[in-house]
Amino acid sequence: MTPSLTHAELAALIKGKAGITVDPLELERPGVTFEEFGVDSLGLLGVVGELENRHGLQITSGAEMSKTPAEFLQAVNTSVKAGA
Amino acid sequence: MTDHQAQRRAVLTGIGVVAPNGVGTDDFWKAVREGASVLGPIAREGCGDQPLRVAGEVRGFSPQDSVEERYLVQTDRFTHFAMAAADFALADSGLDLAAMSPFAVGVVTAAGSGGGEFGQRELQQLWGHGPQYVGPYQSIAWFYAASTGQVSIRGGFKGPCGVVASDEAGGLDALAHAARTIRRGTEAAVVGAAEAPLAPYSMVCQLGYPELSRSLDPDSAYLPFSPQACGFAPAEGGAMFVVESHTAALARGAQVRAVLAGHAATFTGASRWEESRAGLAHAIRGALEEARCAPDEIDVVFADALGTPAADRAEALAIADALGEHAAHVPVTAPKAGFGRAYCGAPALDVAAAVLAMEYGVVPPTPRVTEICHELDLVTRFARTAELRTALVLSRGLMGSNAALVLRRGQGD
Repeated sequence: MTPSLTHAELAALIKGKAGITVDPLELERPGVTFEEFGVDSLGLLGVVGELENRHGLQITSGAEMSKTPAEFLQAVNTSVKAGA
Repeated sequence: MTDHQAQRRAVLTGIGVVAPNGVGTDDFWKAVREGASVLGPIAREGCGDQPLRVAGEVRGFSPQDSVEERYLVQTDRFTHFAMAAADFALADSGLDLAAMSPFAVGVVTAAGSGGGEFGQRELQQLWGHGPQYVGPYQSIAWFYAASTGQVSIRGGFKGPCGVVASDEAGGLDALAHAARTIRRGTEAAVVGAAEAPLAPYSMVCQLGYPELSRSLDPDSAYLPFSPQACGFAPAEGGAMFVVESHTAALARGAQVRAVLAGHAATFTGASRWEESRAGLAHAIRGALEEARCAPDEIDVVFADALGTPAADRAEALAIADALGEHAAHVPVTAPKAGFGRAYCGAPALDVAAAVLAMEYGVVPPTPRVTEICHELDLVTRFARTAELRTALVLSRGLMGSNAALVLRRGQGD
């Protein structure tokens, strides 16, 4: 069983794949968007690719277009669970 | 020239340099003026066992200290150079960006090779691990247009942006493009060229150029216009500028460092150096005409100085064809012999050197060259003091582009 992606892990992935430092607590703030941090769809696509490679899974197409961390985590975690 | 055109005449108000012989204009000019040579063995990782050994590497530059982490991850070294040079140029210009509309500032760059090092890393992921290991920023980072896009994103510049893909001479063509942008009404343009061709994949791409110097000896690898000429040593780095309308620059009390007075470009085919004589002469005439400049007004020529006998001969003859009798008297120099040719960045660095030369009243020497086998007054060994009001900068590319730019001194007229 693959554990769900947490805000802390997402922050670390964003740092590694897009070079942007984000406070994990900020990612949890209700209504917060990726745009506020300057994280674009290419950055999220890099995160998706890393998660897919790491877990050997296919993540729901379009996850990289998520506007908010909440949306993104839901898309990713649904995919991870479906594949587990 | 109509009043409108005169008001919208483009001038340089900021210079930013990242070069093998100096990061920042002060260090660059000191080295250029002294005729220092910094050519040496390429020390970058993975480059040591190639049949190209001598180049001009930018050593005094820390990308980590110059650009934000996101751009370290998302862009290539050539874009890091462009960003750092743009920062220098903007600071030098004194433009109050906070008070300007984002639509008032455009960006123009030229690049010949793009982000080769970034591209190599991702291609190694592709062949080593598979397509799913290629990062998404590959789609933009290695593209030759990346620096324009990323400089505009980083600075929030939403004015007209452009990329010139016209071979090495693109470094001059980009300035002409920026001048047109200013004439059409944009307040300021960040413009120039920087390259980073010293990485293994990029170097392999250059090995097919017959003009590339294979010399192992930094002292004799790049000796343009001399009987020992054996090709050119490549370099990395470049220069960025801030260009504005003359009126706007004067209105805000900016120091006008030079006027972009005239430019023209021609094309004569890849490695057809004999034909480049007519093409370069035609470009010089066109640039003089646009600048309303008589040949004998040219006080100094910054030569392309490719460094092969055929190309050097063609350039010397082109200068004679276009400048007539004056060609025998005008000082000609090639500071790049001391640090190499940074492809599109090379003419941009020559423009920086030409502006500084006019400001200091000094023609810098052509480093390491002592013997000259063409009919030119090539300045060698030591800098020469001279009153310089007008400079001619020449550039040719390996793929056949030729360009000429006439610069007038900014202050005092």
